Amino acid sequence: MSSSELPENDKPPMFKNWNQLYAFVLIMHAFILLLFYLITQAYS
Amino acid sequence: MATLDWIVLSMTLTFIVVYGIWKTKAVDTMKGFLMGERDLKWWTIGLSIMATQASAITFLSTPGQAYTDGMRFAQFYIGLPIAMVILAVFVLPIYYRLNVFTAYQYLENRFDLKTRVFAALLFLVQRGLAAGITIYAPAIILSSIMGWSLSWTVLIIGAIVIFYTVMGGSKAVSQTQQSQMIIILSGMALAFIIILYKLPENIDLSNAMTIAGGLEKLNVLDFEFSWDNRYNFWSGIFGGTFLFLSYFGTDQSQVQRYLSGKSLTESRLGLLFNGLLKVPMQFMVLFVGLMVFVFFQFSKPPIHFNNVNLDELRTSKYEGELAQLQSNYDDVFDAKKIAMNELVAVEDKGSQQFITAKTKIQSLHAQENEIRTSVKGLIEQNNPSAETNDKDYVFVNFVVNYLPKGIVGLLLAVIFSAAMSSTSSELNALATTSMIDFYRRLYRKDEEDKHYLKVSKLLTVFWGLLALAFAAFASLFDNLIQAVNIIGSLFYGSILGIFVVAFFLKKIGGTQVFIAAVIAELLVLSIFAGVHLEVFNIAYLWLNAIGCLLVVFIALGLYYANIGKQGPPKIHYE
Repeated sequence: MSSSELPENDKPPMFKNWNQLYAFVLIMHAFILLLFYLITQAYS
Repeated sequence: MATLDWIVLSMTLTFIVVYGIWKTKAVDTMKGFLMGERDLKWWTIGLSIMATQASAITFLSTPGQAYTDGMRFAQFYIGLPIAMVILAVFVLPIYYRLNVFTAYQYLENRFDLKTRVFAALLFLVQRGLAAGITIYAPAIILSSIMGWSLSWTVLIIGAIVIFYTVMGGSKAVSQTQQSQMIIILSGMALAFIIILYKLPENIDLSNAMTIAGGLEKLNVLDFEFSWDNRYNFWSGIFGGTFLFLSYFGTDQSQVQRYLSGKSLTESRLGLLFNGLLKVPMQFMVLFVGLMVFVFFQFSKPPIHFNNVNLDELRTSKYEGELAQLQSNYDDVFDAKKIAMNELVAVEDKGSQQFITAKTKIQSLHAQENEIRTSVKGLIEQNNPSAETNDKDYVFVNFVVNYLPKGIVGLLLAVIFSAAMSSTSSELNALATTSMIDFYRRLYRKDEEDKHYLKVSKLLTVFWGLLALAFAAFASLFDNLIQAVNIIGSLFYGSILGIFVVAFFLKKIGGTQVFIAAVIAELLVLSIFAGVHLEVFNIAYLWLNAIGCLLVVFIALGLYYANIGKQGPPKIHYE
């Protein structure tokens, strides 16, 4: 595959651009960490 | 093991292999064999990445980790989603643009041949050792719990993996991994549901968590920083990010998985899929272990989970001492069980009655741990070379003794699947690196594709047999598993440093990064020696970050000191 064939500008599914998808992954991760924090606080 | 379990186990494994090969069309080119047809969709890539990382020991050891140490091991993975995003943004487009087979090919175009060969060699040493352990580690546990022959267990796992990896190459690896991950996740979810069902009637999920929390097992996040604390938030988010950048970005066993994607988009989505699901998956596996812990607060667990150690002790001169410890253990367990029921009966979790019951349970739990430690001491006295850490045996002990017929077979299929999924990726990656970075690059440059295909298959068999040989002799070495894990931490940082310089510091040349990597590696080895000699104490996870930063700063220092300067690299086409 040559560089000209690269679909680098393809949009990700369900999001307008890749930055939104990256942000979604990181926000979901932050949400999971918040859950971990709440579990730790509730049961420690 | 019941006949039904044998049927479930053998049918599941046969289905996975046959389906994987059936889905793989005839492979008649080297590229097809090593990289598949580069037609995989994101979900196959994502599952393949997860299956490569999750070895059998993950599913044996992780629940045991939660049993003994609580949920804090989850922090080990919190850098992973960050690493996935960084790789998707910066690294994947470069690999795709250069159309590489291996991560190390890129290093020759960016630097020079010696840097490529150095990194590829480090990978072959690390993975070559790890492949044997990936087979040996679950085999030793299964053989001692199930009473199977260790040699046959090793041989069967190895033979099946070599068979389908040689038959279908990279695509067969990815296809089987997809089925293997589905079996693994379904099996673990089923185990979780059954454990909840097997808890006493008055113990629901909320009570189970109260019990686990009362015994300090729900310590998922720990924000207290300490260099020698292996699992805390800071080591996870900083040390872990470096580790996973290195593992997923530069380890060919992972790079090969996502380079098999149909397009850059599919590969990116596969990596992000892993970033989204990996932390919850590890949490779930740990949580299964936590529920096994709660289950064993009401059903008496063995005083030591490794039957082989216990049987040896029962026929030794320490038999009397063991019997006395067992009697004490029984008394403590009965008292603790009563206290547990008192604890869950208290409705007001802030009341003095609740705190008193909790304190009593903690005291009894500490006594129980002391007795278990004494048993380990006896095992060591009886056989100084025995492995006394029994946490890897906790989950499989529970599976074999408490799960219904048929489900035992399915859970054993989970363990076999995990062993095979990570081994197949390793063999595929080892064959690819030895073919592309050594055989085709240094030895036979202008052969026909048919020749390279044949040699690639032979190299897969070679690495498979080497892994089997290593697994066969693994028992001769003490603490081998730990040794291999440490070797990984010792080299990953330097390799990552080379790639960080390659990606982000465009002015630095091959000789400068090569010198920096060699010096950094020597310094990391010196730090490790310092830890080993107890001069100071640093958790292994930090060695990844230290190695990487050393390469970057030494290379920068050489550049500004004008040492090792060389012309731009010659682009090498393959």
